[in-house]
Amino acid sequence: VADYPEICQVAAEALDLDALLRAITVPETGAVCVFSGMVRGVSGATRTERLEYEAYAPMAEAKMRQVAREIRARWPGVQGIAIVQRIGALAVGENTILIACASAHRDGGCFEGARYGIDRLKEIVPVWKKEVRADSQAWVEGHYQPGPSDRASQQE
Amino acid sequence: MRVTVLLFATLKDRAGRGQVALDLPGATSTVDAVRQALAAGFPAVAPALGSAVSAVNQEFARPEDTVADGDEVAFFPPVSGGCGG
Repeated sequence: VADYPEICQVAAEALDLDALLRAITVPETGAVCVFSGMVRGVSGATRTERLEYEAYAPMAEAKMRQVAREIRARWPGVQGIAIVQRIGALAVGENTILIACASAHRDGGCFEGARYGIDRLKEIVPVWKKEVRADSQAWVEGHYQPGPSDRASQQE
Repeated sequence: MRVTVLLFATLKDRAGRGQVALDLPGATSTVDAVRQALAAGFPAVAPALGSAVSAVNQEFARPEDTVADGDEVAFFPPVSGGCGG
């Protein structure tokens, strides 16, 4: 396996998309697909003021690296990968997560890898968000219960 | 034996703290025994432990998995990171 750039981080500072793109682009790269998650302020009749993200940082970064390995196993054409989750209080319109996958061409797995990355992150990467509204706040809980196949040791 | 228990999100709020040291009998124990000891020591956490995910030393664990002295055991709700949607 070629040694392509890989960035898996929990970040307390604002995400720098340009720097991330530079970091995962190699001379063989011709396409990068970026998924960017944002804080949504309006959901129907509901108004969100901000989201507060918390992470189990060392496990989150280990599970991000596992997601990156899973992406490479499914789409061998994927080159550089970045998975960066912002934590702390984030205002409406702010960037919460960046998942970027590079490949030689647009059909080399970059779209599929980024899509898989965000879906998988929402299953196994230990990060939680608290939704803060004008008059209430509550932790948002996911639904996925990890099983034995979600352990890194099951995939070696 | 003693383990460090880490709590996140709802569980952390319920306990009023994110880290607890728990003493358990014997040389080794199980995730389920740690869960029961946590519920006994922090009754406010108990209702949220039923659906909680567990991890030992930063890897997902089952209730019957072994826990040793010095291990880091974490309990947390199903994850909800990523984007707003």
